[in-house]
Amino acid sequence: MLGWFRRKIDRLVIRDRSFKFLFDEDKSGEVVSLDCETTGFDPWVDDVISVAAIRIKGNRILTREAFRAVIRPEARMRVESMKVHRLLKSDVETGRSMEDVFPELLRFIGGRPILGYWIDFDMSMLDKYALQYLGIRLPNPRIEVSRLYYERKYTGAPQGTEIDLRFNAIRDDLKLPPINQHDAFEDALLAAEMYVILRDMKDRNIRIPRRRAAGAP
Amino acid sequence: MPNAFDARNPPFDRLDAEEIDRLRAELDIGYFAPEQVIVAADSPAAFFHVVIKGAVEERIGTSVESVLGPKECFDARALLHAKPGSSFIAAEETLCYLIPRDLVIDLAQSNPAFGAFFYSEISRKLDAMARTKDAQGVDSVLRSRIGDARLQPAVFIDGSASIKTAGHRMQDAGTNSLFVRDGERVGVITGMNLAKAVVLGGMPLDAPIRDVCSFDVVSAAKDDFIFDALIVMTRNNKRRLAVTDGGEYVGMLEDIGILGLFAGNSQLIPGRIDRARAIADLASAAADIQSQVDHLHRQDVKVDVIAEITSDLNRRLFTRLFSMIAPDSIRDKGCLIIMGSEGRGEQTVRTDQDNGLLLSGPVPEADLARFRADFTEALERFGFPPCPGNVMVRNPQWSQPIDDFIRQLKTWVISPDEDSPMNLGIFVDAVGIGLNQELLTRAKSALFETLRGESAYLSHFARAIDLFPGSGGMLNAIMATVGREESIDIKKAGVFPIVHGIRTLAIERGIVETPTTRRIEALATEGILSQNFARELAGALRFFMEMRLRSQLRASRLGTVEGESLVKPSDLTTLERDLLRDALRVVKEFREFVRGHFNLRMF
Repeated sequence: MLGWFRRKIDRLVIRDRSFKFLFDEDKSGEVVSLDCETTGFDPWVDDVISVAAIRIKGNRILTREAFRAVIRPEARMRVESMKVHRLLKSDVETGRSMEDVFPELLRFIGGRPILGYWIDFDMSMLDKYALQYLGIRLPNPRIEVSRLYYERKYTGAPQGTEIDLRFNAIRDDLKLPPINQHDAFEDALLAAEMYVILRDMKDRNIRIPRRRAAGAP
Repeated sequence: MPNAFDARNPPFDRLDAEEIDRLRAELDIGYFAPEQVIVAADSPAAFFHVVIKGAVEERIGTSVESVLGPKECFDARALLHAKPGSSFIAAEETLCYLIPRDLVIDLAQSNPAFGAFFYSEISRKLDAMARTKDAQGVDSVLRSRIGDARLQPAVFIDGSASIKTAGHRMQDAGTNSLFVRDGERVGVITGMNLAKAVVLGGMPLDAPIRDVCSFDVVSAAKDDFIFDALIVMTRNNKRRLAVTDGGEYVGMLEDIGILGLFAGNSQLIPGRIDRARAIADLASAAADIQSQVDHLHRQDVKVDVIAEITSDLNRRLFTRLFSMIAPDSIRDKGCLIIMGSEGRGEQTVRTDQDNGLLLSGPVPEADLARFRADFTEALERFGFPPCPGNVMVRNPQWSQPIDDFIRQLKTWVISPDEDSPMNLGIFVDAVGIGLNQELLTRAKSALFETLRGESAYLSHFARAIDLFPGSGGMLNAIMATVGREESIDIKKAGVFPIVHGIRTLAIERGIVETPTTRRIEALATEGILSQNFARELAGALRFFMEMRLRSQLRASRLGTVEGESLVKPSDLTTLERDLLRDALRVVKEFREFVRGHFNLRMF
């Protein structure tokens, strides 16, 4: 309810009217898988250093037309995050400014639902820029891939079931090949692959078998 | 542009970096739910698919032809050629890379090595595959040890011996160089040293060799690499090196010995067979023939060439053995016949022996008995396993006068028992050794004459083509295992049906050639098989022989014959699995052809 209300308000207060399409009902039927690599885990302090978005049309993952950008961070790049993403400071410094990239990204995404693993984090990062440039939060519906997985695997599980929702655990369970992780594009692609499989399993009402705990009958 | 797309996976490993980038930029990924049709039969495919996860069944009608797993591709035929007969259907939740058809066609045209993968014919694919492997041979030779090369024996002679004595010593030992012991010193003398001393130096034949030999011995250790030896030879401008092992001279390495490592030592074996004076000498040549097979295979020599070399050497061996042990009566009247795979020239690793003896007339019973015993004993010593069906000289049925043998052949045709078709099959592949080869020609003409018009018998004979997989259903089961973790018996599923079907057709047409590939050529010339199908069959057979040889060599390294013709799909590369599918498809088509040709309606 609160979200609906805020969307109404945001639609009215948006600074740049040319982005009003964000609030249009999406008719493409597509979904966008998105992943950001950041300098750290605090949306208010840290910056996005690379972003990738891939559209999914039906059962087709449109990697050919993917959106990818490396961004010059405003906050000072942290050593730890350089280690994680293997992006060198010089790589990032050759990147474009967020001011430049953000409108392009929004036009790519449009009003489509946004999909990802721990998508709330990515969205709060993007909301920071949306507030800064447009004075709104992004209104797109969110799809959390770990939730889809949880539904297929753990709904109705007996108490005490060990729940494992790590990205790699889901990947292994769905028998997807390992990737070069902490690369925005590869992570977004992996989430997209998980999504098409899980959505189809949901449509067919198929569950993912749980391995019985040791000692269970 | 997924980086996870594995460019090392054939056939993409043939693309250069720029082409890979182009490919990656054009990839989409498709998801297919179980039972969803990915490529429908008889409709052109818009994409070339590479499985990321899941499993895809290739079906013709309702029968599953094969199952494809991660990293496997489909379908080259659907993409570049007429519409596919097969459909491709997801068996599990499946993700595939989708490579646009136009891009693949483009790359196939601009990059011939990549394009080769999309050839429709297995024989052309095999050739293209062989070409890309060429470079490995040289490298593996340079990295082998000196001890792996054929060394001349270390023969010592005293420094006081005369030039004449040294010359004879070389002749007797079959070597071209001797070690010279002169007090504390050791030197080397070669045939060329002797010749020069006499011809150019004008020295008398009784001059002591210490005056002509060199005491400046260049040596290398037995465990050194061949490339070490090459360096030492080049640096010292020598064509031979003394080889040491623990400080002792153990032999002499000549440049021709290194050459032998490249091509195998096959060129040296005929000489050793001809020079053999006793069975023991032949036994060591026989062992060499066998070790050649592994050696040639490691040098990536094609399997049909290996089989040809091996057969040629084995025949020389048999010829020499025959002349060595056959009593005069048998040599004058007998024709040794070599049959089965050996007769077709398709045996590489020895699996069994099929041999017999035709005689132009009666010979003394004692001579025959002695020959039967000696011959069998010698072959056992050479490492030929006995024939399980007892098709051997020692079996009187297979060593008798020609008239009796022809009667025997007719009996097999007219009132066949259980073993008759097998016996005839083995005999049809016979080649003759010795003076009286016209005996074999007579026997074969008699057989062909007897079979002419016996279409019922030939149908019965052809029926064996379905011997192993039993029925169409079983065949499908075998094909469905491609891509799954189950072994395939290459001999039963691949080699036998082709060899036997072709043999039957050859008998029908009275074709006297024995090698299967020659029979295929002859059948194509006569218009029985289309040129195209003939090439496919020859290619499929070559592929099966290659697979079989590989598993045989592995089995023999493990010292077992268990599973010598079993191939596990998981041990194969993607490309090889693709070829295996193609080859099995050719077999299936051929079985249908044979059934139709001989009117076999058994299902």
